[in-house]
Amino acid sequence: SASELEEKYGTSINKGLSSSRAAEILARDGPNSLTPPKATPEIVKFLKQMVGGFSILLWIGAVFSWISFGIQFAQGAESPFDNLYLGVVLALVVILTGIFAYYQEAKSTNIMASFSKMIPQQALVIRDAEKKELPAEQLVVGDIVEIKGGDRIPADIRLISAQGCKVDNSSLTGESEPQSRSCDFTHENPLETKNIAFYSTTCVEGTATGIVINTGDRTVIGRIASLASGVGNEKTPIAIEIEHFVYLVAGVAISIGVLFFIISVSMRYKILDSIIFLIGIIVANVPEGLLATVTVSLSLTAKRMAKKNCLVKNLEAVETLGSTSIICSDKTGTLTQNRMTVAHLWFDNQIYSADTSEDQTTQPFDQSSPSWTALSKIVTLCNRAEFRPGQENLPIMKRVVVGDASETALLKFAEVILGDVMSIRAQNKKVAEIPFNSTNKFQLSIHETDDPNDKRFLLVMKGAPERILERCSTIMINGKEEPLDSEKAEAFQTAYMELGGMGERVLGFCHLYLPENEFPDTYPFDTDSMNFPTSNLCFVGLLSMIDPPRSTVPDAVSKCRSAGIKVIMVTGDHPITAKAIAKSVGIISATSETVEDIAKRLNIPVEQVNRREATAAVVNGMELKDMSLQQLDDILCNHSEIVFARTSPQQKLIIVEGCQRQGAVVAVTGDGVNDSPALKKADIGIAMGIAGSDAAKNAADMVLLDDNFASIVTGVEEGRLIFDNLKKTIAYTLTKNIAELCPFLIYIIASIPMPIGTITILFIDLGTDIIPSVALAYEKAESDIMNRRPRNKKKDRLVNEQLAVYSYLQIGIIQSVGAFVTYFTVYAEQGFLPSTLLGVRVDWENNAINDFEDSYGQEWTKYQRMYLQWTGYTAFFVSITIQQVADLIIRKTRRNSIFQQGLFRNKVIWVGIFSQIGIALILSYVLMAYWFVAVPFAILIWVYDEDFKLSLPPLPLTHPC
Amino acid sequence: MATLNEKKTCSERMENFRRFVWNPETKLFMGRTLINWVWISLYYLAFYVVMTGLFALSIYSLMRTVNPYEPDYQDQLKSPGVTLRPDVYGDRGLQIYYNISENKTWERLVTTLQTFLTAYTPAAQHLNVNCTGDKYFIQDTFDGPNNTKLSCKFTSDMLQNCSGIADPTFGFPEGKPCFIIKMNRIIKFYPGNGTAPRVDCTYVGDESRPLEVDYYPVNGTFNLHYFPYYGKKAQPTYSNPLVAVKFLNITRNVELKIVCKIIGAGITFDNVHDPYEGKVEFKLKIED
Repeated sequence: SASELEEKYGTSINKGLSSSRAAEILARDGPNSLTPPKATPEIVKFLKQMVGGFSILLWIGAVFSWISFGIQFAQGAESPFDNLYLGVVLALVVILTGIFAYYQEAKSTNIMASFSKMIPQQALVIRDAEKKELPAEQLVVGDIVEIKGGDRIPADIRLISAQGCKVDNSSLTGESEPQSRSCDFTHENPLETKNIAFYSTTCVEGTATGIVINTGDRTVIGRIASLASGVGNEKTPIAIEIEHFVYLVAGVAISIGVLFFIISVSMRYKILDSIIFLIGIIVANVPEGLLATVTVSLSLTAKRMAKKNCLVKNLEAVETLGSTSIICSDKTGTLTQNRMTVAHLWFDNQIYSADTSEDQTTQPFDQSSPSWTALSKIVTLCNRAEFRPGQENLPIMKRVVVGDASETALLKFAEVILGDVMSIRAQNKKVAEIPFNSTNKFQLSIHETDDPNDKRFLLVMKGAPERILERCSTIMINGKEEPLDSEKAEAFQTAYMELGGMGERVLGFCHLYLPENEFPDTYPFDTDSMNFPTSNLCFVGLLSMIDPPRSTVPDAVSKCRSAGIKVIMVTGDHPITAKAIAKSVGIISATSETVEDIAKRLNIPVEQVNRREATAAVVNGMELKDMSLQQLDDILCNHSEIVFARTSPQQKLIIVEGCQRQGAVVAVTGDGVNDSPALKKADIGIAMGIAGSDAAKNAADMVLLDDNFASIVTGVEEGRLIFDNLKKTIAYTLTKNIAELCPFLIYIIASIPMPIGTITILFIDLGTDIIPSVALAYEKAESDIMNRRPRNKKKDRLVNEQLAVYSYLQIGIIQSVGAFVTYFTVYAEQGFLPSTLLGVRVDWENNAINDFEDSYGQEWTKYQRMYLQWTGYTAFFVSITIQQVADLIIRKTRRNSIFQQGLFRNKVIWVGIFSQIGIALILSYVLMAYWFVAVPFAILIWVYDEDFKLSLPPLPLTHPC
Repeated sequence: MATLNEKKTCSERMENFRRFVWNPETKLFMGRTLINWVWISLYYLAFYVVMTGLFALSIYSLMRTVNPYEPDYQDQLKSPGVTLRPDVYGDRGLQIYYNISENKTWERLVTTLQTFLTAYTPAAQHLNVNCTGDKYFIQDTFDGPNNTKLSCKFTSDMLQNCSGIADPTFGFPEGKPCFIIKMNRIIKFYPGNGTAPRVDCTYVGDESRPLEVDYYPVNGTFNLHYFPYYGKKAQPTYSNPLVAVKFLNITRNVELKIVCKIIGAGITFDNVHDPYEGKVEFKLKIED
């Protein structure tokens, strides 16, 4: 009772808590808000970027450089600082790319942070015996709060008084129907009992007063939210792919490094020199700029998607959507418009369908019949919903209405067709009214007519069709009242069944003109004693309503289909409604049948139906409860079109796990708190931006700003494109690794002057190559990517053996040959013919030889030789750059010839090419002639690749695609 | 590689690897059929043969296009390097340290000089011609034997007191050692712009402090008739002219820093990066 409650929570219902007591409790319990999921400390995130990926290898390189500096310095060698600088540069590279990646990630997280900072919610609280508006965060247990229609419930509250209070618990339980609330204890389970209203749900109508019993994380919603954070975060597919790629490249780098370390030691190089070679080999093998490039490409795509209303929280999720093979979609709000709309009408023995699109301005059905006039009058008058004032300029569909969902639908429907409903109501003054209640299941009102000559009262009634029909003795056909015989009743039944079978909520409408003599002007209508007829009325028609699918959804679903993505509907709604919506949006296609459909068609019991024949399945939550995991797997495997109805949050989680067991990449859409565990469990959780709760948005990887399923399709397309393009980027980047690596190997084996320096390699990896590899992210799709199946997680790797082999052992080799020809050309033209270079290393690098003779008899000091060596580096660098231009052009496409794809569709590629050459020009000063030595090899690369793309079959090799 | 993502025991991994190497069911060796491997190997063999051929072809055509007499570009060799004999390098460049009373310490240096000068004996120079003019010895035609150009004789006796003929110890035991300065060869380099370049030795950093030096040949000049150099193919018997310097008043038991520059138009010695361009710096310490 009230006094027990007062005692339990140490409060007073009339006076509320005192401010000081409230402050005490606030200090004890903390603010009334959900603790956001524990964020990784920024410093940890930052350090992770510093050691992730290739960073470890580069750190090792840097440490080795410093060690060799230390040794050389201690020995008092002449130029030990080179190694110190190299180490510093390597460390800088790691730190800078780390900072960059961290910044990119932080930027995308910040977008989300802005979400949670929503307008602070206010609550009306009684404290110190006064009503006060307080921020909801300051509520404490024991506070007395008042709520009214439209408010968000500020905490878990035990109601102590309620007037017609209804709450929308959809964010908590997924039930879309508003639930009535009173102060009576009705159930042991707090979720079921009527006297508790939950934090973050909304009060739809009525008013109530209650005591706060739980705040913040101790609320029911808080507990679900913390359940969600307990679900482990899976690695995204692209993260796995990148890891795989890092392993691959690091494996190559380490094995070649160690191999050549051993070779150089056994060739009697000094250990110190061998270590320096090892550093060179590591630096050459590691694509330093690549991970940054991948981040940029992903964030470019994320930006592009944000423009199309897909906000990506976690950059890697950009690609996940592309590899998605199953989408578990919520129904309400995602597939549908989340508002009841009149879909069909039945009058004059005929079903008419109404326009259910988002922005209707007219209704196309036949409105000439006098029956419609009568029906429209009932619809208008027997309706308590009203527009909130001050919205005259808004489109009708967007206006806010006070009233329940069905009445709102009817009001808007009438407003669209008849115009100003409010003035019609004013002309037909209401004299009496019985509101809808669940016992009599009808709503009735009595009006004066708008015809001044007609003094009769009009009684209008709407309600559950069978109840309405019971009260009727006649039926209106084409404006004339006809007796309701069994034939007409049969017609009614058929129509009712048909509309109900479409999952629509059907209402019946009837009216009666009260005879003037019995009910004069002054007749005292009494709604309690019902001193007026409520039977023998005239039945006018039926209206059926549904939450209609969004107009873009059917197209989007069929696109998903052709993209090989299975769309599964998971909803808390009734199976019939769910199935009807599934059919209308194409989740269940027109031709496919469920087991039940087949049974009905063949007229055999459900058990006898061959389950394999049914392509579609509608699974009820109750059935699901009794199913074993195998049975669920069986359903997920054998039916291509599945609808789960009446599911609970836990079941959603089970369904997602079931899909993941099939090896699918699962996307889940949802908006409520109850969805958040499933959103978290999914490979990619997609929350609704408008209808979504904060908990859902927190758990999700992506937010649809327009709540529109069609945006997911865009996301899938972008995700697939970026995967393809990342492949290109990686292939492009890997190729030159060979051209960077070969110099070291040949230097060690043939003892020629060093062809390229470690720093120069960094110039390529972090200078000239960056913009072109980002430019590949802008590449358009080669074929219709939405017409192929989602990639197989296990087979279609980002970097597969073929791609690596083709890049490393073929194109990379051509590049190396081209670069070495340039190298030998430079030395020959400066005086050192190739034959003099072999085996020359020891003397070449000897500081004590300052009259080193070249092939022409000229003598060089050490510095002059070094200067020539640097020129060689530059030339080598330039020739790699030139050949990378060709590499860029061949990597634009993986299957198509460049003639098919065209060079000019992706303008950014040109930016890439020019930047590449521009940066090379800035970084280097070598004779222009050296720029052209590698050109024939660049052309060779292009011709070779074109041929490869043309002539796959005769060779057992396949092009990496 | 998918195996990397799943936890597996070591034996399972080994088993997987074994199956990867040879799968008896599918007859796949390392993921391919044997015939497939043969094809691939053949393809790569052909590919690499072609690439090697292309490389060889490129180098061959490079060799055909380069000028056999002089390099196509000489932008890297603008000013000649200078070297010193005897040349003993320490951690920080040339360091000539010796002890008069310990014969061993200077005999090494003397041997270096003697060996170096064997290329300048009259016998070694007999193919070269005697030159007398003090002007550049410009030869536009190939007047020498076997289509070569002539080179001027430089014999060690031109170094007089430092020739090693009169004093085979080059003055080392007396504490008045001889050093030989050599200028590097650069093809078609005309040093001095008509005036013979000469060697000038001073203390480093303190040029006013008198360093008593005897230069051989007189004034320490490189006679212009040794220039220009036409390259190894045109002048196979060319030998660099030399200048010997004899230090007369070396303070004992002190490490001295000495620089010998070559003064002449076209020869720069102010390149901070290159300690041997146009000059040679060395440390000298004579102990008792």
